[in-house]
Amino acid sequence: MNAVVTLTRSLMRQTLRNRQGLFWTLFFPVVLMVVFSFLGNSQSRVNLAVVAPSGRATAVVKAFKQSPLFHVTEMNRSSALQEVQRGHLDAALIVPSAHGHPTTTLTLRYNDANTLSAQQAVGSVEAFVSQADIALSGRPPLFRVAAKALSHSHSSTYLDFLLPGILALMTMQNSLFGIGSGLTRWKEKGVLRRFQATPVKPVQLLSATVINYIVVGLASAAIVVGFATTILHASVLVPLGGTLLVLLLGMAVFLSIGFIVAGLSKSQEATIPIINLISFPMMFLSGVFFPSTSFPRILSDIVQYFPLTYMADALRGLMSGQLTVAAGAFRTDILGLLIWLVVTGTLASRTWRWE
Amino acid sequence: MENSLRIENITKHYGALTAVDHLTLSVPSGIVFGLLGPNGAGKTTTLEIVEGLRHPDGGHVWWGDLDVFRNPDEARSRFGVQLQTSAFFELLTVKETLELFRSFYRRALPVSDLIARLDLGEKQNARVGGLSGGQRQRLALAVALINDPEVVFLDEPSAGLDPQARRNLWEVILGLKAEGRTVVLTTHYMDEAECLSDRLAIVDHGQVLDEGTPKELIQRHMPAAVVEVSRSVGVDATVSLPGVQRMEERDEVTMLISEHLEDTLVGLVNWAQQQHRTITGLTTRNATLEDVFLELTGRSLRE
Repeated sequence: MNAVVTLTRSLMRQTLRNRQGLFWTLFFPVVLMVVFSFLGNSQSRVNLAVVAPSGRATAVVKAFKQSPLFHVTEMNRSSALQEVQRGHLDAALIVPSAHGHPTTTLTLRYNDANTLSAQQAVGSVEAFVSQADIALSGRPPLFRVAAKALSHSHSSTYLDFLLPGILALMTMQNSLFGIGSGLTRWKEKGVLRRFQATPVKPVQLLSATVINYIVVGLASAAIVVGFATTILHASVLVPLGGTLLVLLLGMAVFLSIGFIVAGLSKSQEATIPIINLISFPMMFLSGVFFPSTSFPRILSDIVQYFPLTYMADALRGLMSGQLTVAAGAFRTDILGLLIWLVVTGTLASRTWRWE
Repeated sequence: MENSLRIENITKHYGALTAVDHLTLSVPSGIVFGLLGPNGAGKTTTLEIVEGLRHPDGGHVWWGDLDVFRNPDEARSRFGVQLQTSAFFELLTVKETLELFRSFYRRALPVSDLIARLDLGEKQNARVGGLSGGQRQRLALAVALINDPEVVFLDEPSAGLDPQARRNLWEVILGLKAEGRTVVLTTHYMDEAECLSDRLAIVDHGQVLDEGTPKELIQRHMPAAVVEVSRSVGVDATVSLPGVQRMEERDEVTMLISEHLEDTLVGLVNWAQQQHRTITGLTTRNATLEDVFLELTGRSLRE
């Protein structure tokens, strides 16, 4: 039988029998998704303390209490400020006792150390108050904003944003670590040397290794998507052709980078830090966990060329229904990955050594 | 002897270090040939070059009319190789490992034959990761034999084996010779070299110091007998005894290498009587390969 077939079968057996390895491959993506999907849900309401003099402004308090946007707790001024300071509540709304002025000033105190929740609180309260203002005044509004999400199918949650990023991240980690540290270990222990003493050609062994990682990578991607959609109720599209194309291209790029690292480093102690150095910046900057649009211009100009950025963007576009395979933005991502593949593939074939 | 393994003038440098220095050897087919040398003598590098695993800086290797460097694939399919440290996939079983390697060759022996021959039957379904050192060595040897090789290269095959396992290994190696295969092995053990090898080369600093049958080597370099006494007797360089060529002190023993055993013994006894010394630990023996080795390399084998 062909050596590639028997080698691939042996490597698959190795992978499937490595229970610990399999567990950790799937454990992180699943845990990340579970944690973030809970965080995402709790953040949709603003936790608001309302400080009102007794008997005053009950109408305001009532209005806030009735709104689904807020979770309101009435308390006195000092404890309200303390709670906000500690980060237990997002903001404190202070209703003045005296009035007579045509405009009543509602003071909103927020903790500026917690930018995200402060922004959300301030924005929500302002919008709510101006809406209430208009409604009470009885005048018809001059403008109205009709907010519509770009994806026509559904309202998307943070999990829907996260899932494509997690898929891209998994692909990167598995390919980089699998090849980078796996091959270095083989080299160190003499596994490669032993194969070198047989008529097996390097290209046959490497093909089997790549096939093994691709099958494992696709299977774990399928498990993660299945888990996210059935258990966590993520609502994403999975256009099969496009998704496969992006996953395969991404794997090819990161496997090549893994080969380069394994080719250049002599020991496993040297490989792991190099792989971390490559993967860490991408993990946090390539838009896996949050959009990279909020970065300074100069940073996002660089980040957009990272292979993981191309992968995450293309997958997110496809899975949210915003991009089709024919779309220009998708083609740009694919082109970016192809260029990476040519460069890294060439380097990989130059740097690879048996010893 | 239709075939022979001819190693011609191979050289290998690692930076400033010359691991193999214009080494030339000829190994007739069908014999067990031993490469004997201290650590770092260049045995392993020589073997790996001959097996086609390393490119030499110069030289040729021929197996019959097969040019090993020109046709490495052909050489690999006719050679069987046991590396000094060979690792396999830890999570495959013994049987699966043999089946995997079997699939690489056009001509191969049945897996069950090798399992029986190397006594791996009980372990055939055990994972490689759980094997003992001796079982691993046997697996490595089984893998080396899977392609029914004409030449078998064994690099330190008995390293780390207990005495019983070494005896079993010797039987396997002698069995290979009986089947007409050529065996080239490196070893640290003098008894192994002496018992197994039809011919030997003593190698140091990447060069062959001498080559021949064990008997020839001893005859050539150590025609004499060896008289040993305890060091506490006090025979040292100031004592001159008849017939003694050379004196060596090793651990608790003083070795007198003598051309005339009788003269030396009489001299020793006379000297002891005059000096009122008691002779303890007296032995006489023929010179061994170990003595030849010491003579040629100035180093003890196990150093």
